[in-house]
Amino acid sequence: MSMQEWVALALLIAGCFFYLAGTIGLLRFGDVHSRLHALTKADNLGLMLVCAGLAVLAADWRTSALLVLIWLLGLLAATVSAHLIARHARRDGK
Amino acid sequence: MLSSHLIDLVLALGMVVLALQVVSERAVLRSIILFVVFGLVMALAWTRLKAPDLALAEAAIGAGVTGALMMMAWRRLLIINPREPADTPRGRSRVAIPVALLAAALVATIGLSALFIDPPTDTAGRIALDEMVDTGLGNPVTGVLLLFRNLDTLLEMAVLLIALLGARAISKPAHPNEAAVVETGTPLVGALLAILVPLSILISTHLLLAGTNEPGGAFQAGAVLAAGGVALVLTARLQPGDRPGVIAQVAVTAGLVAFIGIGVGVMAFGETLLVLPDTWAVYVIETAMMVSIGLTLVLLFAGAPALVGRRT
Amino acid sequence: MTAVIFVLAASVVFGIGVWGLLIAEHLLRKLLALNVMSSSVFIIMLVVAGGGGNGPDPVAQALILTGIVIAVAATAFALALMISIYRETGRASITGKDDDDR
Repeated sequence: MSMQEWVALALLIAGCFFYLAGTIGLLRFGDVHSRLHALTKADNLGLMLVCAGLAVLAADWRTSALLVLIWLLGLLAATVSAHLIARHARRDGK
Repeated sequence: MLSSHLIDLVLALGMVVLALQVVSERAVLRSIILFVVFGLVMALAWTRLKAPDLALAEAAIGAGVTGALMMMAWRRLLIINPREPADTPRGRSRVAIPVALLAAALVATIGLSALFIDPPTDTAGRIALDEMVDTGLGNPVTGVLLLFRNLDTLLEMAVLLIALLGARAISKPAHPNEAAVVETGTPLVGALLAILVPLSILISTHLLLAGTNEPGGAFQAGAVLAAGGVALVLTARLQPGDRPGVIAQVAVTAGLVAFIGIGVGVMAFGETLLVLPDTWAVYVIETAMMVSIGLTLVLLFAGAPALVGRRT
Repeated sequence: MTAVIFVLAASVVFGIGVWGLLIAEHLLRKLLALNVMSSSVFIIMLVVAGGGGNGPDPVAQALILTGIVIAVAATAFALALMISIYRETGRASITGKDDDDR
């Protein structure tokens, strides 16, 4: 495999590891806020690494730019939904 | 060879496990969320089977819109009776497992035996692929949907309209803040909408225009437009209204009217019914369909005949 | 081999959907089971259609796309029916005793 593919492989495996960590946090943590913490931090980092790995493998720069856009949109959605869930949970007193 | 089948096995296992979770999970809201995840795994399966149009449609419509509709319906049940239990008991049925096993065995037999039949050389699919060269389009699915079997697509638009009319006919008027789930006090929501809604318009237009040569098309574009509309309804920027204005009435029926208009209009020029004249007709009909589908899905979500801007 | 794996998985999912449909009492769960069943049928349709060298059969894809949209329309109407039933009768479940206590 070429250098490009090795770099992409490393990035993809690191991304999957962060997703695994986030999911374990989701399943094992006690309350909503800790779970949100694990999910938003680890999953978004995992998404960045996976998108970076795929961008390295991409055929042209347009695909890489679209992958960066996908990561930014995922980040936006995760941020706002985590914020809203946390507000709701705090209001409900959990 | 093994690595490609490994991903097939993982997807198949994921589908089975998720389906089991969806039907056996006690809490209804959790079932709905698991169903959305199931839809996304299905989208991955469509990608693996080399059908990207179906992957887009399943992710947007099958998982996204269906999940949103079900969650909003559950919320309406809770509004009507706040003491509705969140867990539903599982019924007991002695015939359930034998009938399910029989159904699975029947479907497996049909599917497996159909796999080992050699199809004849003049199936509809191959004829469609051959005829695609004469049209100006590059995406065979769009060609089939809008040129070769456009009667099905026409009737599909009619079905969407009938579903909307039927749902409105049997429902009581919606309370203005029924669908406004998201509290509007936080500034993040405004920022999200400022990015999301224009982006949904941009992406849906791209999907529509790219659908003639690449994966995409009117249905996927309409679903993305509906996603932007659903975000507006959820944050109370758009609220359920009582009477649809002229614009809403025109927009909801635009797809069907454009399709019938062009399809019947060509008969005045000597062509047969529904033989579209050229690629411009495809673009016009697809644009009208996108607007109709988007607005119909948002109206079905909001549970009202019309949408009004925010009432202060 | 890909095709066989997907056909078997989709058959199992269909069986699970049938089981869920028969065992669920709440109408919303029945709708969920129905949607799971229709998704599995779409997979089998595409896999069985096979296709030309470059991708699966476009007519099958178009039919399945139509099917997905119509499933959404039917689900939306069924949900409106369910809410209407809930308003009238106070519950959205179907149990075996429904015909007796009217």
